[in-house]
Amino acid sequence: MSDRPGTSFFSPRRAGIIALSTVTQLVRMKVFYFLAPIALLFVGLQFFDVFWYEGPEASQPQQELMMHKNLCLGTMMLFSSLFAIVSTALLIPGDIEDRTLYTILCKPVPRLDYLVGKLLGVISVIFVAMLVMDILMVVTLHYRTQAVSAELGEYLGAIGWGEEEVRQGQAEVVSHGPSLILQYGVLAHFFKASIIAAVALLISTFSTSTLFTIASSVMIWIIGAVQSLAREGLFTKGEYGVEPGMVDRILGTIISLVFPDFQLFESVSDGAARVMEIGVFDMLHLGGLTFFYIAIYTVLSWFVFSDKEF
Amino acid sequence: MSEVPAVQVNRLVKDFKGSFRGGGIRAVDEVSLSIAPGEVYGLIGPNGSGKSTTMKAVLGLVKPTAGSCAIFGRDSSKVDSRMEVGFLPENPYFYKHLSAAETVSFYGKLCGMRGAALKARVNEMLELVGLEEARHRRLRGFSKGMLQRIGLAQALVQDPRLVVLDEPTAGVDPTGSRQIRDLILDLKGRGITVFLCSHLLEQVQEICDRVGIIHRGKMVNEGNLEELTSMHDRTEIILQDAPPELLEQIRNLVDQANKGELVSEGHPRSSLESLFLKETIEAESKQKAASTK
Repeated sequence: MSDRPGTSFFSPRRAGIIALSTVTQLVRMKVFYFLAPIALLFVGLQFFDVFWYEGPEASQPQQELMMHKNLCLGTMMLFSSLFAIVSTALLIPGDIEDRTLYTILCKPVPRLDYLVGKLLGVISVIFVAMLVMDILMVVTLHYRTQAVSAELGEYLGAIGWGEEEVRQGQAEVVSHGPSLILQYGVLAHFFKASIIAAVALLISTFSTSTLFTIASSVMIWIIGAVQSLAREGLFTKGEYGVEPGMVDRILGTIISLVFPDFQLFESVSDGAARVMEIGVFDMLHLGGLTFFYIAIYTVLSWFVFSDKEF
Repeated sequence: MSEVPAVQVNRLVKDFKGSFRGGGIRAVDEVSLSIAPGEVYGLIGPNGSGKSTTMKAVLGLVKPTAGSCAIFGRDSSKVDSRMEVGFLPENPYFYKHLSAAETVSFYGKLCGMRGAALKARVNEMLELVGLEEARHRRLRGFSKGMLQRIGLAQALVQDPRLVVLDEPTAGVDPTGSRQIRDLILDLKGRGITVFLCSHLLEQVQEICDRVGIIHRGKMVNEGNLEELTSMHDRTEIILQDAPPELLEQIRNLVDQANKGELVSEGHPRSSLESLFLKETIEAESKQKAASTK
């Protein structure tokens, strides 16, 4: 028998090596070039007035900042979700087509290490991309907040408001500027993109084409976004007071178990843009849910991938 | 205690399922083989005969329908067994975004190597395959022969006791092919077991100790190359600078003995490969000499 030591069931170090290689691969594929138009968009927002915002005399000047935040968060959500799907869908089938996977799996690399490494690599790149977008958003929002606050101060002073009242008005505007709660919104989108990457990973383990993986992942993304509405329709009494049947209930349960509920993440992001109260425990709950979904999809991917023949 | 074989394949069967309408195929049918440590074993056969599937089963890339494969006594479906194996697939592709040194280092890290030991091993491997000068070049611009050599470097990085080579010289020019052949002979000299399959029978004959011939999934012949290829009822005598009179005497001797028969005589031929290598190397050295003048 061989005298070399055995290979553990899962090695975080080996998964880390594969993750790092995935990050290098994506970086050298120049995926971060996509950040350039996003940066231009964020900077461009500085010079864009809301059509309903008619200057500081308007009753809610913070609308200007809300629009800025909504557009930035929306762009981040779209970019991170699409990036998660496309990059994950390209990586594993690419390795199979190029036979790179042969040489990796012929080394003492458990298949779980490979899957976790690929997923961590994609999630790391999403994290860095979102961090860059977040910094851009915070910087541009800061200057926008300063401008709107100054404009409001000048206007209120001109119409004869007292110093204290002006300060209160400006404080209300500043509260809609960069804040910790806004970071929760960004984090919610990062969590969501990570789950979408895990979904795409699962599909790519049994899919025969990149196109199928992308199309199916987009479909799950859409189902995840509307599933809470569907569940509401199936589990609650209808307009005419009709109780949902057994089939409806089973279907609803399956949908809620199989597809992630992205509405939760959207509500956090929406609440963050509106400066609503979001606690640390809410975020911990969301983080736990994200971990749960990622773990489930990764284990399922492993089940499929461990028996795959090449 | 008897020595554990480097590779042990016992009555391996591999069926591939067909489409909905049936039509499954038996790619490997009750194949058994055993490779001793330090041996160079060649598996030969026509396209679709089951060579690659047998290799993939040995590497754990496909699951046997029946039978078993083991590497140095360890079940080859277990990840542990791969610590002992280096594999070079046919027409290998690696991450094109990595340089030669990064590629070898990546595979070394996957085998648990790190730090100064890994760095030294990467240098050693690049030197072994003659790619030190290309160490910082990305694989995107590598020729087929260079890719094959970097493939060998990654296969050997963890110092395996067994190297599995699937068509190691496919698509490589004669010079590159000769270099790979020399590398395999070097591995043999270092006591590394080599299991290869190739269509280039001349090369297989040059380097293998034993061969197995597989056809339609079945092992049709297997054994020591010398035994399989020698014609026991014939004898070859090669003479250097023999004058015509001596040749005449030999012919007369055979005639007088009235035992045996002179079947043919003539000048032995060198292979086309040797001629090609001689001409290209001569041309290159002439060019070098001219450029230094």
